[in-house]
Amino acid sequence: MNERFCLWLAVGFYVTASALTARRLQRGLAAGTLHHVNVAVVVAGFLLHTLALVLRGQHLHRCPVTNLFEVQVFIAWSAILFYLLIGPSYRVSFLGAFTAPLVVAVLVTALLAPIDIVAKAPKKHSAWVETHAAIGIVACGALALACVVGLMYLVQERQLKSRRPGRLLLLLPAVDQLDVIGFRLLAVGFALLTIGMVGGVVAHRIVGACPWPKTAWTLVVWCLYGALLGGRVMDVWGGRKAALGVIVAFIFTLASYWGATWLAK
Amino acid sequence: MNLVVVGLNHRSAPVGVRERLAFPKASLGEATCMLLGAAQLKEAAIISTCNRVELYGLAADTAAAATGMRRYLHDYHKVAGSLDPHFYEFRGRDCITHLFEVGAGLDSMVLGETEILGQIKDAYAAAQQAGATGPALNRLFQKSFAAAKHIRSHTAITQGSTSVANVAVELAEHIFRDLRASTVMVIGTGAMSEATAKALRSRGAGTILVCGRDRERAAALASQLGGQPIHYDDWPAEFHKVDIVISATAAPHPIVTPVKLGPLMKLRHHRPLFLIDIGVPRDIDQACGDMENVFLYNMDNLQQIAQENLAAREREITVCRTMIAERVDTLAKWFEEHSL
Repeated sequence: MNERFCLWLAVGFYVTASALTARRLQRGLAAGTLHHVNVAVVVAGFLLHTLALVLRGQHLHRCPVTNLFEVQVFIAWSAILFYLLIGPSYRVSFLGAFTAPLVVAVLVTALLAPIDIVAKAPKKHSAWVETHAAIGIVACGALALACVVGLMYLVQERQLKSRRPGRLLLLLPAVDQLDVIGFRLLAVGFALLTIGMVGGVVAHRIVGACPWPKTAWTLVVWCLYGALLGGRVMDVWGGRKAALGVIVAFIFTLASYWGATWLAK
Repeated sequence: MNLVVVGLNHRSAPVGVRERLAFPKASLGEATCMLLGAAQLKEAAIISTCNRVELYGLAADTAAAATGMRRYLHDYHKVAGSLDPHFYEFRGRDCITHLFEVGAGLDSMVLGETEILGQIKDAYAAAQQAGATGPALNRLFQKSFAAAKHIRSHTAITQGSTSVANVAVELAEHIFRDLRASTVMVIGTGAMSEATAKALRSRGAGTILVCGRDRERAAALASQLGGQPIHYDDWPAEFHKVDIVISATAAPHPIVTPVKLGPLMKLRHHRPLFLIDIGVPRDIDQACGDMENVFLYNMDNLQQIAQENLAAREREITVCRTMIAERVDTLAKWFEEHSL
């Protein structure tokens, strides 16, 4: 079984989880109904997803963060990891419903786009570089989930503002809870991003300079999330603006990473 | 199948009749034992709520048992005239279907309400403790609980509140995760604001502040709600502390406007604010609802949601009946196999 096959199977489980949720939404069923089945399906997908990363790592004899394909697969994995950590502890109903489709989109793009290109001259193997990259990607997972929570906030806020809320109102968590979770994920993501960045400085002093587009991209993303977090802490924004901020920031992060990777070539 | 139910409910009898035939909870066990002898039943149970009185029994002759059950209701409650036109009666498979529908809230005054299941459980426990149940009624009631639970979790029959006060509470719970940490302010002391505040309190709302022009009435309501009264002129000063405002004054003009609310919202540090305007004419300028982190609902909005929720529940009835029919088939088969 190769890693691409595992990933397609994982995509199958995530699609099943999304379909189950769509069914729950369509029937307007209580958040608890089929929840355990849904979580079990996501866990099955996550295990296959993990197996795919392990197989790729064994094949490369290093952490699988060497090209855009691997980075996307790793980010999707981190997002699911944070969902599994946060969903049950905060009892956030339907967080998985919004996370699974995003993960499917990221994985399918990675699997279908011609981005799984093996580097002709592999970079020098360094545990420092790999750790820095892995932490950065795990940070992206937290920020991806912050983006998902922001999206849920906007949907729930729109329901409430419309004064004619539909079924979704009953199924999604309270807006103040979504606001708090979004803030915490942003804080965790930014902290990891900072650690990853400091690790990067150390790593590249050891193994040599990083291509300037990636360095510039890292700095821009770090400043962007720093500004978002600073604004929250200093009470400049919150609620809707904060939710919009994390969504735009994550889309920018993904899009600009593609750009920076191509430029670095 | 020798099951029979005789009863009356909110549709078949006015409240005057229902209250005459109601059984006090404390005497339910004793009354069930008396029913066994009076109607020649092998097993019996009595459900008595404010909206229904129903006698369930297992008998060799269900027709004679039904007559005995009607007579028992008259005799036990010492009713002189005949109340027969108010009674309904179901036997065999129809009796099972009826109990399953009652348990699922399909026969309730508020469609899909869940309180009835607890009341049936109490009635069954009383009958069981009195030794009035046997294999037939044990099976019947236990299966009705399972059916009700299944229907609740697999359909939307209990979803969405159908009263204005409960709709307001439901909305509040989707703005604030923990109502215990929220502060409610009631401006004006009308019946509707009182009902809404009570509904919020029953779901655990934290502090409740009550202000009205009539100080005594405000103090009385505050005491009822376990809250604190404040002077009517002081409400703007307290406003920034509150999360939920129920406004129902007789003021001819809006008392809350974006101009007044703007500076107060800055003091709230992006905490959401839920405004419930049940005053006619309206107390809160509609433009407040467009402000960030402000959620404004008036009486019309709440009534419309309540009606839509009720309509949504009504659309679920067919699905519920299909589920019930499947379970009734299975149980009816069991009764036939056991010759009960």
